[in-house]
Amino acid sequence: MLKHESIETNSALLIVLTLVAISIGGLVEIVPLHYIDSTVEEVKDPQTGLEMVRPYTPLEQRGRDIYVREGCYTCHSQMIRPFRDEDLRYGHYSLGAESKYDHPFQWGSKRTGPDLARVGGKYSNEWHTQHLTAPRSVVPESIMPNYSWLATTPLDYSDIKERMIALKKVGVPYTLTKDEYAGWDEKKPGDQVVRHPGTVERFGEATANLLDINRAEQNIVAQAEKGNYDGNPELLSEMDALVAYLQVLGTMVDFTKFESDYFVQFR
Amino acid sequence: MLATWWAWITDLGNSKIVSLLIFFFTFISIVLYVYTNKARSERLESYRYLPLMDDDAPKPPAQQASPKRDEK
Amino acid sequence: MAHSAVVSSEQYNYDIVKKFAIAAIVWGIAGMTAGVYIASELAWPFLNFDLAQITFGRLRPVHTSGVIFGFGGNALFATSYYIVQRTCQARLIGGKFWPEFTFWGWNLALAVGGIGYLFGITQGREYAEPEWYVDLAITVVWVVYFILYTGTLMRRNQPHIYVANWFFMSFILATALLHIFNNLAMPISLTSVHSYSLFSGVQDAMTQWWYGHNAVGFFLTAAFLGMMYYFVPKQAGRPVYSYRLSIVHFWALSFMYMWVGTHHLHWTAIPDWTSTLAATFSILLLMPSWGGMINGIMTLSGAWDKLRTDPIMMFLITSLSFYGMSTFEGPMMSLKSVNALSHYTDWTVGHVHSGALGWVAMVSIGSFYHMIPRIWNTTLYSTKLVYNHFFLATIGVILYITSMWVAGIGQGLMLRAFDQYGNLAFSFIETVSFMHVPYIFRAIGGMFFVAGMLVMAYNIYMTIARARQEVPATTTATPVQA
Repeated sequence: MLKHESIETNSALLIVLTLVAISIGGLVEIVPLHYIDSTVEEVKDPQTGLEMVRPYTPLEQRGRDIYVREGCYTCHSQMIRPFRDEDLRYGHYSLGAESKYDHPFQWGSKRTGPDLARVGGKYSNEWHTQHLTAPRSVVPESIMPNYSWLATTPLDYSDIKERMIALKKVGVPYTLTKDEYAGWDEKKPGDQVVRHPGTVERFGEATANLLDINRAEQNIVAQAEKGNYDGNPELLSEMDALVAYLQVLGTMVDFTKFESDYFVQFR
Repeated sequence: MLATWWAWITDLGNSKIVSLLIFFFTFISIVLYVYTNKARSERLESYRYLPLMDDDAPKPPAQQASPKRDEK
Repeated sequence: MAHSAVVSSEQYNYDIVKKFAIAAIVWGIAGMTAGVYIASELAWPFLNFDLAQITFGRLRPVHTSGVIFGFGGNALFATSYYIVQRTCQARLIGGKFWPEFTFWGWNLALAVGGIGYLFGITQGREYAEPEWYVDLAITVVWVVYFILYTGTLMRRNQPHIYVANWFFMSFILATALLHIFNNLAMPISLTSVHSYSLFSGVQDAMTQWWYGHNAVGFFLTAAFLGMMYYFVPKQAGRPVYSYRLSIVHFWALSFMYMWVGTHHLHWTAIPDWTSTLAATFSILLLMPSWGGMINGIMTLSGAWDKLRTDPIMMFLITSLSFYGMSTFEGPMMSLKSVNALSHYTDWTVGHVHSGALGWVAMVSIGSFYHMIPRIWNTTLYSTKLVYNHFFLATIGVILYITSMWVAGIGQGLMLRAFDQYGNLAFSFIETVSFMHVPYIFRAIGGMFFVAGMLVMAYNIYMTIARARQEVPATTTATPVQA
């Protein structure tokens, strides 16, 4: 019989039993989330059938990298809770699917500043650039630091392909090959054919182009030129990338296309 | 009878209750083990003195931050 | 007596304990000063000075890593090496090299990580900001630490393993588990300092807060309870109140803590059942927490007068009171209805600091005042300065948590207030203006605490300096009594 006395006198046994005691909680709470399908809902456009939540474009992803670098998450959350005041202040509560391509997640834990989960489209590019450069020039009571160097620092995108490949390895559907882009049929024994959809079928042609790693550099330049996020066409700056990221936050799911209580079933 | 019990326990749908029972049983057994048997209680409580036995002084534990060298 | 003390310092490896103890004080002052600075930045934003390296977002992880892993980590290395040797009556294994390896490895990893934050090298995960290469280094150090600790336990001259060591063991094991799983990441390339986390979104959030809360549970609680179970009885000169209670305390705490991380994610996009489960266990956790607190405080039963006469005891018992307070506040905040208000506000920040300053820092400070004279084989330079430190620290903590209650509960209430027409009563920026005054008081509270740490550093410095002087002339030296 196992006696507690032997635990007290046997360090190996103490180690094993302690490991068992501390492992159970984590196993029960975390492991199922990787396997239960309802953990992250699938959000498809009811009309076109395309996935609404898409990976970030290379420019947006670089903007996100800057967001992480500057530690924005220490003061801003990206997770709206299902309360009336948050709904009025920020918009529809956040869905799990909306952060499914977020490596790492940036839900945050503190709102020294407001939530940013749906900040996209709420302010103009000019406002963002001015606000990031000198917050108190637009919001006098703000306590946010000035991020004046963003607009003058050229965006380094020399390693954008490596970055996208690393993200691809952890599950973001960026594409390298024609098959990944256009999809392919896999022939299984017994004349069975399994269709692997490419990014074109999942997100539509225009988006699929933006997710192509081979075109990453052109896409960055093109999006920055077209968006002119920092109001300075001369320089592709870090401000361009960060504003591009902020402007896409929370805009991927068009809630007007769903019944108002549609998402309740996933909670 | 035993088979139906077994079927109920192994049914994954009941895992919450089963695990609750297991943990509760384990917890109760630890408490019972620790607090029942008198001899064992005494043995366990004797370990309280372990940190006090290692003192630099062979004397009983009353030693404080009192100046050691003064006593020389 | 002095003779046997000399033997004891030869019997045990005190050299490594000394190194870690000094490092803990240095990191403590640095990390807490960074904390005061970022607190001041929130009160007076001009302090960011438009310098990227010292903006709040980059400096905040310097503060958190500095105090948790720099101050707390070094304090734990020091005390665990001290306690395992003394309660096993055996010398630390690994000779001179391996303990030194853990010292330099740990501190270099922290320094490299901390400098990295200033230059924007971060994983963007709270309390796990170091990038992949620092994480790997920490893993190696931790494995060596585990081997040294277990090896010393196996070499013990006592049949029984004292309960403090159980707590340290669960801390070492849990930290290993948490560190490895929460830092799984894909480096951009082997020459790049950046990486992307393996998990994303919901799963990443769960993993991170499983880590985040258990960093509190095992790093900042279980391990410091190990410290408490040794130093409170030692300083009181009486055995712990109930050894049997400590056994139940240990198993209940080790088992329950790992379930509760999700209470940091109430009302978010995680499945509801994980949230409910975490809230339930958080409430249950109150029992072992208070069991431990009572066990510690009751150790003093029959010698309560020490609370008036012994400032070291004041530190230790006050730390247990703060432990009791924050382990009551914590479960309360994990109730979903309370959390709806408290989450995202400074109430959480205040709660963390009542645990981190009130419990973790105070129990470490008390333990250090007990341990440091013993490892240098001397007496404390000044007891009066310990009193001063105690009052500075206590005033600091109270100012801190009170101002954060005001800021947090105030902001929470303002954000959910509606006017008579059903519109939001306050804009977000109005809550920011409201928090200005509490932020000033918080910064002042932090300054008090740092001032206390500086007093401690001076006291310890003088203690060590005198100990060194005494060594050549042991027979003539008489310690100055404060």
